[in-house]
Amino acid sequence: MAAASPPDRAQRVPIYPKWLAPLLMLAPAGVWLGLLLVLPTLVIFQLSLVPGIRPGEVVNPVLWPLTNYERIFQPVYLQVIARSLSLALGTTLLCLLLGFPVAYWLAQTAPKQWRNLLLLGFILPLWTSSLLRSYAWITILRRTGVLNAFLEGIGLPTIYLLNQSAAVLIGMTYSFLPYMVLILYASLEKLDRRLLEAAYDLGANRQQTFWRITIPQTMPGILAGSLLVFIASLGDFINPELLGGASSMTVARLIYNQFLGPTRNWGFGSALSMVVIVAITLAMVLLIRYGDSSASGLKAGNQDTATGT
Amino acid sequence: MHHPPRPRLLSRRRFLRQTALLSGLTLAGCGWTLGNVGGQSPATTSTDELLIYTWSDYIDEESVEAFTAQTGITVRVAIYESNETMLARMLAGGGNNYSIIYPSDYMVQQMVELNLLRELDHDRLEGMDNLMEEFQDPSYDPGNRHSVPISWGTTGLVYNTARLTDPVDDWRFLWEHQDRLRQRITLLSDVREVMGATLKSLGYSYNATDPQQINAAFQALQTLKPAIASFTTDAWREQILAGDLLVSMAYSVDGITAMFEDDTLQYVIPQSGASLWTDAIVIPRTAPNVEGAYAWINYTLQPSAAARISERLSFATPNRVAYENLSDELRENQALFPPPEVLDRCERIKPLDAATNELFDNYWTRLTSG
Repeated sequence: MAAASPPDRAQRVPIYPKWLAPLLMLAPAGVWLGLLLVLPTLVIFQLSLVPGIRPGEVVNPVLWPLTNYERIFQPVYLQVIARSLSLALGTTLLCLLLGFPVAYWLAQTAPKQWRNLLLLGFILPLWTSSLLRSYAWITILRRTGVLNAFLEGIGLPTIYLLNQSAAVLIGMTYSFLPYMVLILYASLEKLDRRLLEAAYDLGANRQQTFWRITIPQTMPGILAGSLLVFIASLGDFINPELLGGASSMTVARLIYNQFLGPTRNWGFGSALSMVVIVAITLAMVLLIRYGDSSASGLKAGNQDTATGT
Repeated sequence: MHHPPRPRLLSRRRFLRQTALLSGLTLAGCGWTLGNVGGQSPATTSTDELLIYTWSDYIDEESVEAFTAQTGITVRVAIYESNETMLARMLAGGGNNYSIIYPSDYMVQQMVELNLLRELDHDRLEGMDNLMEEFQDPSYDPGNRHSVPISWGTTGLVYNTARLTDPVDDWRFLWEHQDRLRQRITLLSDVREVMGATLKSLGYSYNATDPQQINAAFQALQTLKPAIASFTTDAWREQILAGDLLVSMAYSVDGITAMFEDDTLQYVIPQSGASLWTDAIVIPRTAPNVEGAYAWINYTLQPSAAARISERLSFATPNRVAYENLSDELRENQALFPPPEVLDRCERIKPLDAATNELFDNYWTRLTSG
C-alpha cells in the first residue's frame, strides 16, 4: 500500500533509511527464529556431516563421502521412512475426513451461543497427557478390551486391532483431530454465505455448491490443517511405540534411538533429522506454491467473472 | 574445510574435556566438542536446600521429612523417566542445580567416562560397611569411587499362572511354546535387555561382542517374532491380568509389584540367567550444596532408610543391616532376594564399544520394523 502513496509524499527526504523501520519491526521475530530455528538446524546439519559422532567427541565435518546419509539408503531405514510417511498420510486423511463434517457443523449449523463451549469440549482432550490417552486406547483395543466386550455384547465377531498399524492410525487420528477441527473451524467460520446463496440462485445443487464453492473457499484451511497434522504425526512416537506392536519402528523413534539410545550416534540421528526437515520443508513449499495458487486462483477467477459481467 | 575421507575411528579422537562455553559446547581445535558440561555450578552456597533428580516414586514424603528433621535441610525433587533423558539433560548443561542423581549402573559408568561425576570422599561417608560384600566393589564403579548403590534387582519373566499351567522357568520357554503364544508375549523395549536375554538363552553372555553370536541372537528373535505382541516396559500389566497376554519380560520391581497386586501372576528369574541391575546415588560435578548431598547419601545409608526401598517399592536393598531387619516375608521372597546360586548365573549389562552398539542398534531396527 505504501508503494502506491502519492508522489509528493514520496519525494520527502526521509530522516531514516527506508529499510530501517521494517528491519526494526522484524528484528525480534528474526532473532527468535535465527537463534531457535536456523542456528539449531545448522548445527544439526553440521553434525550430520560427521561420521558417527557421539557426545564428547570433536565435530569434524567430512564433506565426502556422506557416510551418515549413505546409511539411510539401506533397505531397513528406507522401510522405516516409508512406514512413517504412510502412517502420517493416513492420519492426515482420516483427520480430514472426520474433522471436516465436525468443523462444518460447529461453524455453520450449531447454535451460536453453544459454539464456544462445543469447541472447548472438542479441545478438552488435549489437556490430558498424550501418554495417558495412548494407554486408554490399549484398554479399549486389547483382545478382551472395551471395544471387543461391546462387540460381543451385541453379538458381533470380535476384532483384534491392538499392536498393528490400525491401532497407530486410530491413536494418532484421535490425538491430532482437534488441531484439524480448530483450523477448519476458523476457515469455515469465514465462509462467504453470499457466494453459497448466489450458487443456489444460479441453479447449482448442494453437491455442486459444496465442491465448487465451499471446498475452494476453505482450501487454505484444509491445507494448513493437513500440513499441521502431517507434521505432528510424522514426529509422533508415543502412539507407534505403545499401540503399534512389535513392528512399529518409525523415523521419529529411530531418531530418538540414535540420540538417546545406547549407540548415541548423533551423526546418523542428525542425518535422519535432516531428511525429515527437508521432506517437511518440501511439502510446505509445494503447498504454499500450489495450494495457495489454487485458492487465490479461485478468488482471481471470481474477480475476473465479477469484472467481466 | 574439506577433510579427506578417513576411517571412522580416527575421527573419534577423544579430547581432554575442559570448561564449557556457550551451553555446553567447547571449542577445541578446528571443530567443537559435542555436548560437554563443565560449567560452573550456580553460585549458590545455600546449605539449607537440596535438589534431587531421580526416578518417580523413588523418594517418599516420609523419608524427606525424616531427613529434614535430622539435618534441617529441605529437599526438592525433580523427576526423570529414563537414564538417557537424565544424561541428555546433564550433557546439555540443564542439570547444574542438581546435587544428587540416581543413575543405574551402566549409566554411572557412562557418566564417569564423560567426567560428569564428582569423586566421592569416603571419609565423609558413614555406613558404607553396611553394604553387602558384593556391593563393596561393583564392576560398574570399582570401589564405589563415584557412586553408592541404593537398590538392585533382576530382569525376568512374569506369567499368568491361571492361564499357563506349566511353569515358565527359562527364556527358552518362549521359543519352545511359541505356537501357543502367538501375539501373547511382550518383551522389554530395551535393546540390551532383549538381545542380552536371547544371547543368554543361547549360552552366550549379555555382553557378547562376537558378531556371530549377536547375529545368532537376532535370528532367534526373528523366529520368535510372531509370538511378540509388542516391546514395552510396563504396558503389559493390565493385559496380562486380563489374560490377553500370557508371558511378559519385566524388571523385577515391576514384576514383584504385580505379584503383590494379584497372586495369579508369578515373577521368575530364568534358569539360564538374567540381567542384574543396580541403581546408585551420585553427586554430579556441577552440584551445589555438596555438603547437603553427602548428608543425603549418609541418610540413605542408614539401615532404617535403606529398608524402606524394599518395604515400600519392592526393590532389593544392597544394605546388609537393612536386609537383616526386614520382615521374614520379604527376606524369604526369592523373586526379590534370589539365592546366591541364582545370582551366580546372572550378569550385569556393561557398556559396549561403539561398533558393537551400532550392530545392536541395526539389528534392533530390523527387528522392530519387520
